[in-house]
Amino acid sequence: MLELQTKQQAKPAVKKRKWLDSEGRWGLLLVSPYLIHFLVFVVGTSVASLYFSFSDYDILNPPKWTGLDNYAKLFEDPLFYRALWNTVYFTILYVPAKTFLALLLAVALNQKLKGLKFFRMVHFLPVISSWTVIAYVADAVFNQRIGFANAFLSKLGLAPQNWLIDEFWVIPVLVLIAIWKSVGYMMIIFLAGLQGISSDMYEAASIDGANAWQKFWRVTVPMISGTTFLVVILNTIYSFQNFEQIFVMTGGSTEAGSTGGANNASLVLMLFMFRQAFSFFKMGYASAIAWVLFLILLAITLIQFKLQKKWVHYD
Amino acid sequence: MKKRRFLSVLGLIGLTAALLISGCSSQSSTQQGDKVELYMGYSSDPPTKKKMEEIIAKFEQSHPHIKIKTMTAPYDDFYQKLTTQIAAGNAPDLWQSDGTKVFGYAQRGAILDITDYVTKEINKEELNGLEFNKDSDGKYWGVPQGIQVGALFYNKDLFDKAGVPYPTADWTWDDLKAASVKLTLDANGKHADDPAFDKKSVKQYGFAFFGSSRGAFNILKAYGGGVLDPTLKKSIINSPENKKAVEWMVDGMQRKLFPNPADLKAFQSNFKAFLSGAVAMQIDIYAATTSMNGAGLNYDVAPMPKGPDGKRFAPVIANSWVINKKAEEQKVKAAKEWITYWTTSDEAQKEWTEVGEAIPVKKSVANSEMFLNPATKPENKKVFLDTLEFAGTIDTNAVFTEWVKVFTDNLAELFMDKYGTDEFITKTDEGIQKVLDDFFKKQ
Repeated sequence: MLELQTKQQAKPAVKKRKWLDSEGRWGLLLVSPYLIHFLVFVVGTSVASLYFSFSDYDILNPPKWTGLDNYAKLFEDPLFYRALWNTVYFTILYVPAKTFLALLLAVALNQKLKGLKFFRMVHFLPVISSWTVIAYVADAVFNQRIGFANAFLSKLGLAPQNWLIDEFWVIPVLVLIAIWKSVGYMMIIFLAGLQGISSDMYEAASIDGANAWQKFWRVTVPMISGTTFLVVILNTIYSFQNFEQIFVMTGGSTEAGSTGGANNASLVLMLFMFRQAFSFFKMGYASAIAWVLFLILLAITLIQFKLQKKWVHYD
Repeated sequence: MKKRRFLSVLGLIGLTAALLISGCSSQSSTQQGDKVELYMGYSSDPPTKKKMEEIIAKFEQSHPHIKIKTMTAPYDDFYQKLTTQIAAGNAPDLWQSDGTKVFGYAQRGAILDITDYVTKEINKEELNGLEFNKDSDGKYWGVPQGIQVGALFYNKDLFDKAGVPYPTADWTWDDLKAASVKLTLDANGKHADDPAFDKKSVKQYGFAFFGSSRGAFNILKAYGGGVLDPTLKKSIINSPENKKAVEWMVDGMQRKLFPNPADLKAFQSNFKAFLSGAVAMQIDIYAATTSMNGAGLNYDVAPMPKGPDGKRFAPVIANSWVINKKAEEQKVKAAKEWITYWTTSDEAQKEWTEVGEAIPVKKSVANSEMFLNPATKPENKKVFLDTLEFAGTIDTNAVFTEWVKVFTDNLAELFMDKYGTDEFITKTDEGIQKVLDDFFKKQ
């Protein structure tokens, strides 16, 4: 600390720049496309949605200020709690499983293997496929009538399951498919992290007589804890914002009376919000849901940042 | 020098902002010379888009003072775009609205009350379905663009194979269930009334119903019950008639004569069960004939069965032309000219009939050989026209999608044996009333 201060004092004092001298203006000009975009489409829309969340807004007519009505209604709405629980349950299953699997894959594909590029590509393929395509593939496995999973169960003499409509199964099955689709992306992030670990560390561990398992636990895991932290945060955010998969796979068409996912077993917050806004014309209510979702995510992320001090090491 | 540069920087920023803002708002100039530019919206798929463009070209030829600009997209996208356009104040002057959405726009103040135009300029005798857009106060909000009406669709091949006579106009819902018993088969080909029938491996069902216009609503009505009272602001779910109808449905589900929501889910889309020949009968609307013909199904239609007291009900949806409340006067005038052209011109009506998407709104065309053409399926198209005599709307109001969601969600739980009939009735009655009060009490 002391050293730092002396260094700062040693520097010649920076001349206080006048606000918007020629250089400043050019700087402003060069960032203005981004700045305008930021002000209009990020700040502007956020402020607008905050305002809508305190108003009765049916999209077609101007919003009417109603104070905390939407929030009060939200906390009384049983469907909100249903959607919140489904979302949390999804996250609890999804984040640890996917993070662990991604790390495992990354370690496996960080070895000197034949056809390494091929294996890496295979695991990355589902990441770039669209959800509609993934839904078809998943249907081949989990379709109740013609799916591979039920065919397998009946071979074992077990009863077939309604994978995508049954309350017990639907979330775990959706999690499984979601992990399969995106684990490749997290694997790539881990791979980058792994390649940043110097081989000296492993050599030193070998000399000390560490076996492969010890090397993994004592060297790899602590060394990439920063990457793991990033992956956990990304996965948490992703799982709270999961919309496309649920929409495509359990049906959320805006058309009246579509029965897909009718029992709300797979109703997550994003789908709940979408329905209120675009099927029921309740944009004010939907905005309130969005802000509650934002606050939940913010809280979780802050907690994770607090907790990271206990397990994340930056070298 | 420096000052000038600074000004030019400011100017650039201003210009960018101006471009951004102008990009977001209002239409550019709308009138060129004496020509009125009418902005029109409709939902479409490739064949309907092509046909609509042809009809527009013909209209512009005979109405040289009007130029039509269009906004079109597939169903879901179209309505999302339209909603945001209405919010931004740059919606079309005239659009084709799904019949179930007309009152939603009307009660939210987005469309024009056209009672005056309809009573003075539309010949009611010549037009199908006009009354379905009249609200309980007697106001008209739209003029039919194409009519959808429900009927009982049946797969002739499956009936022939089972040796069951085709449905007739005399059928009651109990007759339908009796026929379903013979048309329901398990994996071993055993009928539903066979003691060895395996409920866990049904491969063919007798009858399917789902959603709103294709669903339970029709059966409740035929039993003398219903969902909303005539003001469309009060739930009438809690009635002995509804209870009887619901018990009739649950019995069919439990005996596996009708597929439940989970069974239907296995077909990817509810429609595929009948389309793939795994269901012998289904309630559907006229528009379904396009996909059924596409699938090469051997099918025909019969009128909806009667309830225990001989009451009959079929759903009707009058997709309609509606006019933007904010449209300028001369555009409203042009929009009315288009509507008059659409509903009176044989040319436009025949062209549209060719796409086979809807029953023509002009009676003379609907009754002509062109529409009734027995060479195309279903042979018995007259059923649709006869049905119009007793058909009714499916209680469409401003919160239609929302109460339908409560209704179908609860039905799904009932059909999946989550709870019994009594609990379904009380829960649904409360749920729907809450949706209605949320909207109407506030006004």
